[in-house]
Amino acid sequence: MTLDEKIRKTLAELGVRDAEGVHALFDQVRAAMEIEGKDRSRWSSQRPDALRVRWLGRRNSILACIDENWLKAAPKELRPAVGSEFNSLKGRANAMLDLNLERFGIDTLPPGVTPMQAFRHDLTLPGNRRPPGSIHPVTRVMREIEDIFLQLGFHIEAGPEIETVYYNFDGLNIPETHPSRDDWDTLYVNEKTLLRTHTSPVQIRAMQKYNAPLYIIAPGKVYRHDNPDSSHATMFHQVEGLAVDRDITFADLKGTLDFFAKKFFGEKVRTSFHPSFFPFTEPSGEVAINCAICDGQGCRVCKESGWLEVMGCGMVHPEVLRHGGIDPGEFTGWAFGLGVERYAMMKYGVNDIQLFYQSDLRFLEQF
Amino acid sequence: MRISLNWLREFVDVEAKPKQLKADLTAMGLNVESLATASGDWLMEVEVTTNRPDCLSHYGVAREVAAFYRKPLKPLKFAVEESPPRASERISIEIADPALCARYCGRVVENVHVAPSPDWLAHRLDAMGQRPINNIADVTNYALMELGHPLHAFDLDRIREHRIIVRRARPGEPLRTLDGADRRLTANDLVIADAARPVALAGVMGGEDTEISLSTRAVLLESAWFDPASIRRAAKSQGLHTEASHRFERGADIEMAPVALDRAAALIAELAGGKILSGRVDLYPAPPKRDAILLRPAEISRLLGTKLAAEEVERILGALGFTVNRANGAGWRVEPPSFRLDVTREVDLIEEVARQFGYDRLPARVRPAPPRIEGDLDREKVLEVTDVLTGLGYREIIPSSMVDPADNALFTDRPPVPLANPLSQDASALRSSALVSMVRALEFNLDRGLSDLRFFELGKTYQAVASEHPQERRVLTLGLAGHRRPASVHDAGRELDFFDLKADIERLFEPFDLPGLRFDLGSRLAYEPGLSGQYLNGSEGLAVFGRLKSEIKRHYKLRSDAWLAEIDLERLLAVALRPRVFRPYPKFPAVQRDFSLVVPASLSYGQLAEAIEKLGVEEIRCVEPVERKTAAELPAGILPEGHVSLLLRVTFQSMARTLTGEEVEDAAGRICRALELQGARLRS
Ligand SMILES: [Zn+2]
Repeated sequence: MTLDEKIRKTLAELGVRDAEGVHALFDQVRAAMEIEGKDRSRWSSQRPDALRVRWLGRRNSILACIDENWLKAAPKELRPAVGSEFNSLKGRANAMLDLNLERFGIDTLPPGVTPMQAFRHDLTLPGNRRPPGSIHPVTRVMREIEDIFLQLGFHIEAGPEIETVYYNFDGLNIPETHPSRDDWDTLYVNEKTLLRTHTSPVQIRAMQKYNAPLYIIAPGKVYRHDNPDSSHATMFHQVEGLAVDRDITFADLKGTLDFFAKKFFGEKVRTSFHPSFFPFTEPSGEVAINCAICDGQGCRVCKESGWLEVMGCGMVHPEVLRHGGIDPGEFTGWAFGLGVERYAMMKYGVNDIQLFYQSDLRFLEQF
Repeated sequence: MRISLNWLREFVDVEAKPKQLKADLTAMGLNVESLATASGDWLMEVEVTTNRPDCLSHYGVAREVAAFYRKPLKPLKFAVEESPPRASERISIEIADPALCARYCGRVVENVHVAPSPDWLAHRLDAMGQRPINNIADVTNYALMELGHPLHAFDLDRIREHRIIVRRARPGEPLRTLDGADRRLTANDLVIADAARPVALAGVMGGEDTEISLSTRAVLLESAWFDPASIRRAAKSQGLHTEASHRFERGADIEMAPVALDRAAALIAELAGGKILSGRVDLYPAPPKRDAILLRPAEISRLLGTKLAAEEVERILGALGFTVNRANGAGWRVEPPSFRLDVTREVDLIEEVARQFGYDRLPARVRPAPPRIEGDLDREKVLEVTDVLTGLGYREIIPSSMVDPADNALFTDRPPVPLANPLSQDASALRSSALVSMVRALEFNLDRGLSDLRFFELGKTYQAVASEHPQERRVLTLGLAGHRRPASVHDAGRELDFFDLKADIERLFEPFDLPGLRFDLGSRLAYEPGLSGQYLNGSEGLAVFGRLKSEIKRHYKLRSDAWLAEIDLERLLAVALRPRVFRPYPKFPAVQRDFSLVVPASLSYGQLAEAIEKLGVEEIRCVEPVERKTAAELPAGILPEGHVSLLLRVTFQSMARTLTGEEVEDAAGRICRALELQGARLRS
């Protein structure tokens, strides 16, 4: 039965007995209206109001028939349902056929937008946006670093932030009697307990837990007794890396960290390794990448050296392996540690480390 | 350590341009922080790591440079013109504690004329950032910068009985040091004493009373070697850090003591016109014996991944002052020089070789780990959680874990972990509730006019445990304020409510296999009573959430209500992820029945839904509340006092067939009876 036939029958004749049937019936009418609204042939310039006559004309139009045959003839219990549906249909039809439509010009409508929707809205208004969520830039960088090492088969290990002096210092070959201990300004809980100053304690914990061979990275929070300023924070994040196996050499350290640097900073990046000192590695080193700002010519950012230090590294000290329960005669290892905030600052051009911890929406929504 | 290029050139012929030298120093492990010109000279700030006190002097750096450029290092020879009588006739020296002072050398210079230093000396010290004082004190500083060995000059005539005793201080003994501070010493402090009292804190700072002054006629020059650990302890306990203590605590060169002494004495005689008494007093009871270290080529390649030519190894170690002898079989027996106390093992030697050879010249290879089958399950779960949250419009924050304990106490009864040496009251304890940081974050933004906030933090809480190591727990914290969705031209914007937060938490649990998940009312310290709840897995609490208590809101003067949630991550991450298994959906039509109820306000929707569920009617596909109205929302008289109206919609559907009218009626009847049993009444 076509729509034009249906509107000439009563509800009873159409077999509609409840509200649900009424809704379904009107759904069909609306669908038909939608289709005709989109049909270009009915918008021909010779008969601009053909559609209006067909739907809203005083006599024999679709709405007039519905009023006559469905609404007025409806059984009492169905009247409210039919009435409300009828009113809403009338509104929509009027909207569809509003003369403004002619002026709007249907030819310019974007695809998928019906003329009905079009004229009612100013489509240049901004979208009805749902504010997106985001992860913190430090997390974003941390994940990126993790992903590179996960790809290399490393696994992720964690350790406590409240550490013992043993794991943070003595086990890492940093005795109380040596000035190297002063390289880490430390927040203490008591004489034996402190807030870890680096993620390196995880090295010993992991060695004790898994023994060798071992390939891990350990991201996490670390703490320093440092007055906060634009480049120092009392709490920040590090990622520690450790590989212990037979036949591991300085060449593995160099190659793997060079691979990492290229993955993270870009394949054109060059690395340079120079000696340094950490009590828990020997030989110890720093990894630098060529300064992208001055292209190695020397600038303020790289202190005129053309290089930017990006992490500390070294071969695991035999004493540290021993503390981890690993025989340094059989196994060797390499390790690195890097500051995540520094990477985030380099990557996103953040010039003040404190911005990371302020939770300012204007900062967070940029990432 | 500041290094002057001109001074350096007195010991080694540097051809490299300053910029190149800077790069080369860095390549050998002496990182140059800055390079600057200064009146015909170049000054470099060299970062000397704590293991290399030998490089805290121009001569030490010159040694490294000479080795690197394969140039000779000028030997140290200082001619001392002595005159009678013997110094030992003027001064008696005794080491009472040889464990803490392994060597003490002294010289006496008489008839000095104390005056300002000549320009060349004053300029050099100036360039080093040292204030010139007089020609005696300046010479000791000069020798320190040149040779790295700390010296001290006493006014000999102020030393009682011309006796020097190196001993531990007596508890409570006073000493006014050169900085003008009156110090009380302890038995841990090593002092230089005269017949009556301490005259210097050994290796740290001299005393004011024996300081060189314009009236000084005779000088006792001290050049000693003190035990590093004891100097470190004394300097720390006295809160002093000096050029002398800096070097002694790192380990000075015991063989440099007499050399530096001669250097300074000769220079004093030259500049202050005195005469150097004959003989050096040199107390050196037990010169240390250091074992030779075996260095094996196989170990070099095991560590560096490449073979180095034997000649190269020998050349490098030789140039750095090591004595290298070929060992029987392969390798060498290497004796470290007196200025390299840091070298005690084979690996130390390998580092020396690698360092001077150049890290950048060593080979490189990428070595992945052996493949692993196990994934990182915890990480996967955390990624699921963050994906859900970012999808719901939450932004991650990383606030400090350190808080003011008074703030912390507003949110929890659990004790935080106080710090022994906090930087400020604001950050004097590790929080025991993450709500502190979250509310602070909301406050920060609200104060800046940023109003529609949705934050999450994946962090930890910390808890002090009596006489045990403090505990750490991972926790997920949510914080919301403002509108459910910001007001715009399209939407009016509706204030957040309890159910917005509840829905987010339910969504958060969706990836997890939590068949026993249930909601319960709950009230906690920080939440508004009547507007907080919790989710439990069986009897284990998983989440607490609700509106921030109004007292706390007032305390922080928050400009809007705050909604908070704490999710126990330790428990949540212990739960397995929900298995994703396809379940066919019914092909037969669904039928809905509405139940319009009048319900006592004390009877909750949860209880009614549970009652229906307990019926165990298989064909019930879902039960949903459609409308709930209180008496206040309806015209007067429609509802009895203390009742609400509730419209429940139940959908029936069978997997196996189209339900008949009778079946639905029958089930609806059972539902009605169950609801009435609970105390609900069907509206006519
Ligand atoms: Zn640069």
